[in-house]
Amino acid sequence: MSKVIKLNVIDRPKSDYTGGPSSLCPGCGHDQISGVIIQACWENGIEPSRIAKMSGIGCSSKTPAYFLGQSHGFNTVHGRMPSVTTGANMVNKDLVYLGVSGDGDSASIGIGQFIHAIRRNLNMVYIIENNGVYGLTKGQYSATVEKGSKKRKGAPNEQPPIDMCKLAINLGCGFVARSFSGAKKQLTSLMKAALSHNGMAVIDVISPCVTFANNDESYKSYGYVKTQTEELHGVDYIHHFQPMNEVDIPEGGFEDVELFDGSVLRLETLSTEYDYTDPTAAISALHMAEVDKKHITGLLHHNTDMPTADEDQGLIDTPLCDLSEDMLRPSRERHEEIMTRFRG
Amino acid sequence: MDVSINDFVINVATANGTGSQSSNLILLNSMFEMGVPVSGKNLFPSNISGLPTWFIIRASDQGYQAPGDKTDIQILMNADTWFKDIEKIESGSIIIYNENVKLPVERDDCLVFGLPMTKLARGINPKMAKMIANMYYVGIIQHLIGIDQVALEKAVNRQFKGKKTAVEVNLRAIEEGRKMAEEAITWESPHIVEARQKKEGTFLIDGNEAAALGSIYGGVNMLSWYPITPSSSLAEGIIHWLPQLRETEDGMSTCAVVQAEDELAAAGMVLGAGWAGGRGMTCTSGPGISLMSEFIGLAYFAEVPGVIWDVNRVGPSTGLPTRTQQGDLNLLREASHGDTEHIVLIPGTVEECFEFGWKAFDYAERFQTLVFGFSDLDLGMNNWVCSGFEYPDQPIDRGKVVRSADQMAAIENYGRYRDVDGDGIPYRTLPGSGLDPILYRGTGHDEDGIYSEDPEVYQKLMMRLKRKLFNARKHLPGPVIREEAEQDVGIIYMGSMENSIQEIDDIIEETGLKVSQCRVRAVPLHPDIEAFIERHNRVIVLEINRDGQLYGVLRKELPINLVPKISSVAYSDGMPPRARIYAELILEVLKERAQ
Repeated sequence: MSKVIKLNVIDRPKSDYTGGPSSLCPGCGHDQISGVIIQACWENGIEPSRIAKMSGIGCSSKTPAYFLGQSHGFNTVHGRMPSVTTGANMVNKDLVYLGVSGDGDSASIGIGQFIHAIRRNLNMVYIIENNGVYGLTKGQYSATVEKGSKKRKGAPNEQPPIDMCKLAINLGCGFVARSFSGAKKQLTSLMKAALSHNGMAVIDVISPCVTFANNDESYKSYGYVKTQTEELHGVDYIHHFQPMNEVDIPEGGFEDVELFDGSVLRLETLSTEYDYTDPTAAISALHMAEVDKKHITGLLHHNTDMPTADEDQGLIDTPLCDLSEDMLRPSRERHEEIMTRFRG
Repeated sequence: MDVSINDFVINVATANGTGSQSSNLILLNSMFEMGVPVSGKNLFPSNISGLPTWFIIRASDQGYQAPGDKTDIQILMNADTWFKDIEKIESGSIIIYNENVKLPVERDDCLVFGLPMTKLARGINPKMAKMIANMYYVGIIQHLIGIDQVALEKAVNRQFKGKKTAVEVNLRAIEEGRKMAEEAITWESPHIVEARQKKEGTFLIDGNEAAALGSIYGGVNMLSWYPITPSSSLAEGIIHWLPQLRETEDGMSTCAVVQAEDELAAAGMVLGAGWAGGRGMTCTSGPGISLMSEFIGLAYFAEVPGVIWDVNRVGPSTGLPTRTQQGDLNLLREASHGDTEHIVLIPGTVEECFEFGWKAFDYAERFQTLVFGFSDLDLGMNNWVCSGFEYPDQPIDRGKVVRSADQMAAIENYGRYRDVDGDGIPYRTLPGSGLDPILYRGTGHDEDGIYSEDPEVYQKLMMRLKRKLFNARKHLPGPVIREEAEQDVGIIYMGSMENSIQEIDDIIEETGLKVSQCRVRAVPLHPDIEAFIERHNRVIVLEINRDGQLYGVLRKELPINLVPKISSVAYSDGMPPRARIYAELILEVLKERAQ
C-alpha cells in the first residue's frame, strides 16, 4: 500500500519545509524550535520561496541551515540581522522575513538594531532562542541570564537580566510573546500567529542549553522552566482558510485575537483575566514573574495599529528589486530638462 | 600701478552661522556668470555657530582652482581671528572690514576700507542685520573689482531662489555698500575682473550633489545613511532629487530611504538590499568605514553587491572633521579582516562624481561585490565648474542573475559559487525566485554555498575571488593621461588633486622639466598605469595624506622591477592642496633622486 503524504493548503508536503541536518548538541532546544518553524510554515501554507531566513551569529543563528531548505537565507554578522533584514525588506517587501537570533546575538551587540527594528516596525518575525549562555564559545553568561542563575561550571551570575519582551513592549512592538522550546503546541500557535502578523513580531523562546546550563541551578534549564512556568492562557491558532465553524469552541472563557491575514489566535483564559492589549499589564505581569523567579508564557502584547517600515516609505507596489530600467533611470528627456535647469 | 586681471584671491573671515555662505556664494556666482574662471573653498569649523570660518575665492584666467599662496583681498568680519588675519596679509593687499567689530586695522601698507556693516544692515532689517551685514562687503568688492550688475543680480536671484523679499533686501544692502565705496574710496584697486566668454552650458555644483544625481541615475533602490560630515549632503542630495526623478505619477517612490541608527546598520541595510536583488547604497566618511568594516568583509566573501561612498575627511580618529584629506585609500582597498580587496572608484571632477555614481552600481552587480566611491571634502562640498552631466551611455547592467527556470537549465552544473564561465564571477539567484536557494553566509562555503571547512575548498574559493577582482581591473575606469613627448617626469595622482595638478605642473615646468600626468581613477589598478610608469624616467606619486597610500598600492600591485621608478610625495595639513607646497616637495624629491 502506498504511503499517504499529507499536503498543506498549497499542496506541499512537510518535507518541502525541512532543511539540512543539525550540527547542534543532541537535545538542544533550538532544534525543537526549528521543528516548530517547519511545522508553522507548513501549516500556514506559505510558499517556501517566499520566505527569507535571516540570522546573526551564534548557535541559534546557525539553525536556518536546518529548516526551510527551499528558502533563501542570510546568516549575517553578530547582532546585525535586523539591519540586513531592513535593507532586504525595503527592496522586496513581498517576502516573509523570518529572523532567528539568540540572547548573545540580540541582547548585547545586537540590542541597538533590535530596538531600532522595533522602532521602525520592520515587518518580520523575530525569534530569540534564549538560553542565557554563549554556547559556541563554551558557556559564558549572556545578558539575559537571571541574577543568581548558575550554569554548570563556575560562579553564579551577579547581574540583573535584560528582559527582551519587556524591552520590546516598552518600545511599542505590536506582537510580543514568550514561550518555551519544550512547549510545542503553544509555540507552534504563537509562531503561526506571528507569521500572520503585519509588522514586527517578537517571540522570546526560552531554549535550554543542554551542554552548559541544563543544571537545576540554571533558571533557563529544561527542568526549571518546565516546573516554574505559568502559562498566561492556552493558545490555539485558527487559519484564515479554516472556517470558524469547524473549530472546537473550548469550554470556559476565551478570547479571539484577529490577525492581519484573517487568521485568529484563540486565547483560552486560564487562571486570571489577562489583557494582552494593555502594555502596562504585560510589563506588570513580567515584573511579578521576575520577583517570583518564574517565567510566564503566551501572547504578552498585541497591537495592530501601526504602519510597517516599508509602508512608511510610500513605495511603488512592485518590489523594488523587480523594477525595470525605465523605472530606475530618469529618461533622456528628463535629463535634458534637469541640465537646462542647472544652466539656468 | 600694475593692475592684475582675473588673477587674485579673496579671503573672507567670518564666524560660523552668520549667514556669510550666501554672500560668499553670491560673489563666487556673479564672477562665474561673467565667465571669469573662479573656484571657492569653504574652510569651516566643526561647530554650528560661533567658530571661525574662512571662504576663499580664487579668480584665475589660467583656470587654477587650488587656494592661492597669498590673499589679495582680505575681508574681516570676525573679532576672534581679527589680529591673526591681519598679521598674515601681505603689504599692498586690500583690507575690507566691518567697523562695528570695533577693532583696529593698523596697516598703513595696505589699502584699507571699513564700513559699519552691522549698523547699516540694522537700518534695512534689524532682525536680519547679522546676515545682511555680509552683503555690504559684496557691494564694496563689486565696486573695487568691477563685478557686472546683471551678473550680480542673477547670482542674488539664484542664491535666494527668486524669493522676492530676500532678493530685494539683499540687493539693497549690496547697492548701499557699493555706493558708499564709490563715494569714499579714493584709491584704485590693483585687482579687477574682466568678463570672459562664459563656457557654454557650464554651471557650478559640488561633488556630493553630483554623486547623488549619479546614484539616482544608477537606479538606487535603497539609501541607508547615518549623518557624518562631509558626506551628509550626498544623502540629502539623493533625498532632495528623489521626488523629482524617481517617483511615479501618483507619487510612489522607487527608492527607499532609511536614516540608520549608526553606520553598522547602514552597511547592513546595503547588504540586505543587495542580497535581495536591489541596488543599495550608503555614504559616509572614514570613521563610518571603520565601523562598517565587518559587513564589508561579509559582502566580499558572500559576494553581495552594494555601493558605499566615502567622502574623506582628515583622520585618524575624529581627526579634523571639516578638513580635507585622501586618507582612506588603504582602508577602503583592504577593509575588513582576512584577505580582502575592494573596488574603489576615484572621481577627480564633479562630472566623474556623477558618472561613477551610476557606474558604481553596475560594477557592484557585475562583480558581485562592494564598490566604493572615493571622494573627499574638497571635491564633495565645494563648488566646481561643471560642463554638464553626460547621460549614461550604457544600459543598466544587473550582472549574472538567473531569473527563470529556463535560464537555470541552460547553465551546466550551477552552483552559487561555481565559476561556470571561467571569469571568476559565479551566477546568483534571488530570494523569492524559488531558484536554487542557499543560505548566504560569512563562514566557509563550497561552490554550492554549503558550509565547509575543507582546506582545498577554502583555498580554491579565495583564489577565485582574487581572480575575479584581478579581472575587474581592465573594466574599471582607466587613468586620464596627459603626456609630454619627453617622457621624463611623470606624476601619478588621484581624485581632487585634479584641481591643483595643472598649477603644480606649471610651477615644475618653470624649472625646465617636462611633466606628464596620470590620474588614477580606480583600484585595482588599470594596466595602462603600469605602461605609463614604464614609459617615464622618473615617476612621482602625489597625494593628500601622510603615508603615501596610493604609492603603497602601486608598490604592492606593480611588477617589482618598476617599483624603484616611483617615489612618493605625500603631504596633508587639512587644507585643500596648495600647488606651491606640492610642487616644491616634488622638486625636492627629484633633486634627491638625481643625487
